[in-house]
Amino acid sequence: MIGFILRRLLHLVPVLLAASALIFFMMYGVPGGPIGALVGENATPEQIAEVTRRFGLDRPVIIQYFDWLWRALNGDLGVSLHSRVPVMQLIGERLPATLQLAAAATVLGLLIGIPIALASALHQGSWLDRILSGWGALALGVPTFWVGILLILLFAVELRLLPAASAYVPFWQSPLGMLRATILPAATLGLYVSGIFARFLRGSLIAELNADYVRTARSKGLSEGVIVARHVMRNALLPFITIVGIMLAGFIGGSVVTEAVFTYPGMGRLVIQAISSRDYPLIQGSILVILAIYILINLMVDVLYVYIDPRIDYD
Amino acid sequence: MHRSDRTGTDQTAAPVLSIRGLDVTFLGSGKPIHAVRGVDLDVFENEVLGIVGESGSGKSVTALAAAGLLPRNALIEGSIRLNGQEVVGADDDTLRRLRGQDIGVVFQDPSTTLNPLLPVGRQIVEGEIAHGRLASSAGQARAVELLREVDIADPDNRALQYPFQFSGGMRQRAVIAMAMAGRPRVIIADEPTTALDVTVQAQVLALLAERQKQTGAAVVLITHDLGVVAEVAHRVAVMYGGRIVETGTVREIFSQPRHPYTAALLRSAPRIDVTGDRLDPIPGQPPTPTDMPTGCAFHPRCAIGEGRQKCRAEEPPLRILDGTRRSACHYAEEVPPPFRSGSGSVPAIVRPAPVSAPEPLLTVDDLRVHFPIRAGLLKRVVRTVRAADGVSLRVAPGETLGLVGESGCGKTTTGRAIMGLVPTTSGSIRFDGQEIRGLDRTGMRGVRRRMQYVFQDPFSSLNPMLSVGEAIAEPLRIHGLYDEMGGAAWIARLFEMVGLSPSVAHRYPREFSGGQKQRIGIARALSLKPKLLILDEPVASLDVSIQAQVVNLLQDLQRDLKLAYLFIAHDLSVVKHISDRVAVMYLGRVVEEGAKHDVYSAPVHPYTQALLSAVPVVDAATQGRTARIVLEGEIPDPAKPPSGCHFHPRCFRATDRCRTEAPAFAPVPGSPSLAACHHPGAGA
Repeated sequence: MIGFILRRLLHLVPVLLAASALIFFMMYGVPGGPIGALVGENATPEQIAEVTRRFGLDRPVIIQYFDWLWRALNGDLGVSLHSRVPVMQLIGERLPATLQLAAAATVLGLLIGIPIALASALHQGSWLDRILSGWGALALGVPTFWVGILLILLFAVELRLLPAASAYVPFWQSPLGMLRATILPAATLGLYVSGIFARFLRGSLIAELNADYVRTARSKGLSEGVIVARHVMRNALLPFITIVGIMLAGFIGGSVVTEAVFTYPGMGRLVIQAISSRDYPLIQGSILVILAIYILINLMVDVLYVYIDPRIDYD
Repeated sequence: MHRSDRTGTDQTAAPVLSIRGLDVTFLGSGKPIHAVRGVDLDVFENEVLGIVGESGSGKSVTALAAAGLLPRNALIEGSIRLNGQEVVGADDDTLRRLRGQDIGVVFQDPSTTLNPLLPVGRQIVEGEIAHGRLASSAGQARAVELLREVDIADPDNRALQYPFQFSGGMRQRAVIAMAMAGRPRVIIADEPTTALDVTVQAQVLALLAERQKQTGAAVVLITHDLGVVAEVAHRVAVMYGGRIVETGTVREIFSQPRHPYTAALLRSAPRIDVTGDRLDPIPGQPPTPTDMPTGCAFHPRCAIGEGRQKCRAEEPPLRILDGTRRSACHYAEEVPPPFRSGSGSVPAIVRPAPVSAPEPLLTVDDLRVHFPIRAGLLKRVVRTVRAADGVSLRVAPGETLGLVGESGCGKTTTGRAIMGLVPTTSGSIRFDGQEIRGLDRTGMRGVRRRMQYVFQDPFSSLNPMLSVGEAIAEPLRIHGLYDEMGGAAWIARLFEMVGLSPSVAHRYPREFSGGQKQRIGIARALSLKPKLLILDEPVASLDVSIQAQVVNLLQDLQRDLKLAYLFIAHDLSVVKHISDRVAVMYLGRVVEEGAKHDVYSAPVHPYTQALLSAVPVVDAATQGRTARIVLEGEIPDPAKPPSGCHFHPRCFRATDRCRTEAPAFAPVPGSPSLAACHHPGAGA
């Protein structure tokens, strides 16, 4: 097991190397380049030459890449062109906020999605199943920004229970404060993802409920509750945790809209700001970090498989 | 296996399972499906009742209804009394209690009947714990005890293992242990050995019978295999079209059936103990519940009922003939005896003896197909599966070589390697005077014009998006020969050759039954006028009566078109029926090869002898059977074959030499066959 995790971590190296090269060279293919962003539109050729030299941009691209890579390996992702703050520091401020929001949203999604999936799968074809499936479609179909705005209108403007703008409050400092600050964006993302969770888990549960081993379990005279809890659930979870992993990883960089609605200080907004201001070091650094976390979450899912499924032996 | 106690049934006592007027209808979005129509059945203590029927006959539905295991959309009418307790309409608690105490079920496919994520031992005792008969702290000890009772070696460790660590036969033993854990009065075994190899089937049937005798339970054995019924059952109920059409003791049913369907079924099955030239299939298709004929459901396929108004108009009741015999036929007294005597009533086809050509059409020499298993970061080869490990065989023009063996022996890999569908490791394949191993795509395409493949599963080997006419024309178009070979007229001719009307060419595969799809698969293979057909289990997924139709078709085509067949199958009876010569494979090697008559009547390799003796035969019902060689253990993992002779761990003649030295495949003194054995010879 340890060997497997180490091997998978080793796999990370070529993936991140390839990704970093891809990100770096693609940026050079984009029209404009970093210099335009640095000097502004009315710069004289002398100013451009000066800035180009100062940032080492006159060197061959390949040299620039290896220079950047060497620094990155030493924990230095460069300095933001826009704010002149080290990229590592900017990411360090935003990443915990994003991880916390992603985790909260996923937990909420599971808390809503799993009971819905169970209720519909166990009453497949009934009116309850139809209503709950309708809920799933609604959760998926309604845009998150709209849900976010509705939540703000209700809980912040009308009821004045919660803040309209969400700050990052670390969980370990104040669990209640964190809950207060994060509940609205987490609920927005959680409602959306609960639709996906409910839909996948329902299909997975129905497939397992029709499996031969369930018939065997019934033939032993077990009650339906025991059959679902002991036999069906674990089997249905196998394909499901892959989906949960993908959604959780997706939240790391992909909850831009929700972060914008709640002005939440997360990675998504950081990347968008970096792109709109053509802040090259910040874009490169953030994407690399998001990618690494994405891969790590998928590794965690694979490790989880070993604990659920005895057939999997990575060694 | 032996029925030691053929008359042990006490039919004066109350039956433990009594079914009256059972009707099962499945309600769905479409038309209601009336699967079981008025079944009456009694099962007594200490007896094995065999329920025989083809797919769609309602045999499994009847049995599942008795255990209350039908899905919720099944509408059940009538009465099922289990140990005096009514099952139909019983509430969930009553049903649960019945299942835990009075009835146990053994299902067909042991690879799916156990939960893959829970230890086997826990699953075995789970029922007893749930019903409060066992403390969960005593679970492990009890699981070990139950596994020991079904002869599983090392039960202490096995109880903690997961289903994937068990072989197919061991899983079925575990399921039997589970079903019998609570000493139920009734055991329902639904095709319990259908998914198992024949040598393992023999072990499992023996175990089932032994446990039945020890517990005195009543066993309802559902099967399509007449041989299994003949060997195991005391009484038989034959089902057709959702009804029981005949019941009687096993001897009565097999020696003098009183329903034309029973008689026809017995005549249509190929038999390992009888040599006949032609099978006697039942014409047409079994009825489906949505399309049931009027009157007697069997009348469209029945010779006795042909032209008789009464059979078309009136459904015959299941009437008592004498003693315990019942038949649902208006003319039960007219049913002829089931078996051809000698060459008998069916005209035999005189097949010319295969011409002994100077060069065989196909010669395979020392063919090896090794699949590497890679693992680790650098994808190093950690093990090699030797699927074919030195296979040699010959097929002469116009003859049939039967290639038999159990699962994992490499017979399908061999067929695919000859066809160029899997990469080969070494050896030689000569076809039609040309070395074809290692040919490139273009070269192989030319070869495939003369060599075609028919796949096992007629359901998945036809593209559902192509009409069957297009499917048959496809090989011609690929080879650019559509017009040259005669275009639409040739396609129409191909349909006629396989017994289908050319007017169905525009239809799609889903509109055809399994037997018809296999005919289409054969027509497709014939479209390029090949010299050799490689037939991979072509009838394995078909019902007995349909199987006979396809086997006859293959024999007719061979005679008319002078085809050579490499017939790959696990069913020894079918292989015996169709082959001129037979090669027996075990774990990647051919262990015995010879003329059909020699291999079947005087086998020299111990594996062939055990294999043949494991086949359940219909004659057991009337004549009893001679001693059987029951092999121990199961086929080893082809990635870790035993040293020396691969068969030695299971062989009753193995010596030290067998453990170290692999025997050569060579002529056997005093026998016309070839064998790979250090100690060949007759008898066990």
